[in-house]
Amino acid sequence: MTRLCLLAFQRGCQTRPVHTAEAEIQPLLNADNGTQTDPQDHLIYQLPPKGELRPESPGLRDFLHRVEDMVVKELASNAKSHAFDGFDVNWEDQNETVSCIHCLQHPSAQEKGLQVTSISWSCTGSVIACAFGRVDDGDWSTEKSCVCTWNLDRRGLNPKRPDMVIDVARPVMSLSFHPSQPSLIAGGLYSGEVVVWDTNRTQDLILAQTGMSTDTHREPVYQVAWVPGPRRGEMVVLSAGSGGRVLLWTVDSDEGRLVLSAGFALIRQQVPHNSALSKNRGSSNVGVTSLALSPWDLDTFLVGSESGLVLKCSFSAQTLAAAPPDGESVTLRAPAQFSFSPRGGPVHSLHCSPFHRNLFVSVGTDGLAHLHSLLQPDPLLSLRVSDSYVFGVRWSPTRPLLFAAATGQGLVQIFDLGRKSLRPAATLDQLTGGQPVYCLEFNPRRKDLLAVGNADGSVNIWHLSTELTEQGPRETAKLEQLANEVAE
Amino acid sequence: VTVLIHHCILYKKAEVEETLKRIQGQKGVQGIIIVNAEGIPIKTTLDNSSTVQYAGLIHQLVMKARSTVRDIDPQNDLTFLRVRSKKNEIMIAPDKDYFLIVIQNPSD
Repeated sequence: MTRLCLLAFQRGCQTRPVHTAEAEIQPLLNADNGTQTDPQDHLIYQLPPKGELRPESPGLRDFLHRVEDMVVKELASNAKSHAFDGFDVNWEDQNETVSCIHCLQHPSAQEKGLQVTSISWSCTGSVIACAFGRVDDGDWSTEKSCVCTWNLDRRGLNPKRPDMVIDVARPVMSLSFHPSQPSLIAGGLYSGEVVVWDTNRTQDLILAQTGMSTDTHREPVYQVAWVPGPRRGEMVVLSAGSGGRVLLWTVDSDEGRLVLSAGFALIRQQVPHNSALSKNRGSSNVGVTSLALSPWDLDTFLVGSESGLVLKCSFSAQTLAAAPPDGESVTLRAPAQFSFSPRGGPVHSLHCSPFHRNLFVSVGTDGLAHLHSLLQPDPLLSLRVSDSYVFGVRWSPTRPLLFAAATGQGLVQIFDLGRKSLRPAATLDQLTGGQPVYCLEFNPRRKDLLAVGNADGSVNIWHLSTELTEQGPRETAKLEQLANEVAE
Repeated sequence: VTVLIHHCILYKKAEVEETLKRIQGQKGVQGIIIVNAEGIPIKTTLDNSSTVQYAGLIHQLVMKARSTVRDIDPQNDLTFLRVRSKKNEIMIAPDKDYFLIVIQNPSD
């Protein structure tokens, strides 16, 4: 039996006496000066010169006098000129075709019939990690699964042999690489646990985990992400699951634990404008199936639910959640602030546009891709993607008007909103024999690569054509136009 | 005498502002920056960080362009520089003490 001894020490300190002295100064020369500010012209913003306000830069007026006519003439003739109409420069090799350059597989996972549930690119763009699990299981699954990584830039890449296989005791439902540390991966498990692996380690790869505690999710974790923490430079892990909880965990690598730092609970009764769903009986928790962070506003996040809700939430929401306390170490808050028009079935994927602060796209079991503005409940545009379910959607990181969607029929449909037609600009067949595609991710560094995770346990790496990756003229303006249209 | 000097300065200031307004009013002009001989921006219509970026990079470019022209023919000198890109055009009117940088998107 150990005894706890409490030792107390007392310490005091006292500075040495401070030396003081008196001194006087007297300026030798005096001068009078005055200044006058001009009324602020809203067009011209003047940078404050260093030091005191000084009179106008000498010779500036004369310089402008000399050049004004010439510059105005050039500007005017440039605006009218057709000299460069249709003039394009090829700085890079033009690639006309879309091709599948790698088909990555982990044979032992495929033999067990495991499916790819989530994929993530490392921040360097060289490593692709994929999580194996099952999407179609209805009950608690105690099946062992794994997380595999391939380094595509390594010579001697063997698509049938991952560079690293991390064995996991439960199916992994979601995966996310750390945004700046290429060796850290966060994963969400079917059991509700959240784990962070460090691929630099040789022995036990688990850097931190939640374990099964009162704080952990009780239901599968469908989404993990890294978000900025309260301290500068710190990233915390966000996890969201079908238990209706969105939790934030700080990484305590010394103890090997993920410590719950903040949490949100989505309760049906607390969802705004929710008259339609109060008819449903059953759990009052809103099960989260998808989550999207806004790259424009660090406080906003979007949540898609099992019942078809799409909610705008805030990290700084203060309202307490109406959930009975269940031994959690933090008080759960209700984050939902706005409800978009609900879908008929689970919302499988959401993504905020990297080119417009108000736009996001959502997909689910209705086979449609809905383009939404954050400012109104109804979608701006709904496109038919597939006759079956749509499991994933991602905006292109380089083309404002482009997004790709993964369908239950084994196809990735790429849509270009700049085209007049509502049909896809490209269709990538994953050759899975009709089995679904569950996830897709664009490479953050190499704009021509798209990774696609399939139900048959394979991950396909596609090389996209220049047409699908090069931003065209005025794309941002067209997107702005779309965003400003009011839905009928 | 102080009052007269004030008025002269204000008049000059007003002229400078007027000129910049006239240039800003041309079709498609997205921004104007005036840079002094050391490459320090002294007037701008853009935000602070863009201004600092443009000023530093363009100053270097103008110096390179000027030395290119003079190396080819020492009796020649740079009078104007236009950099056309996919998204816009940067026009630079160089001088001994200042550069005038105008960013224009002609199709706007």
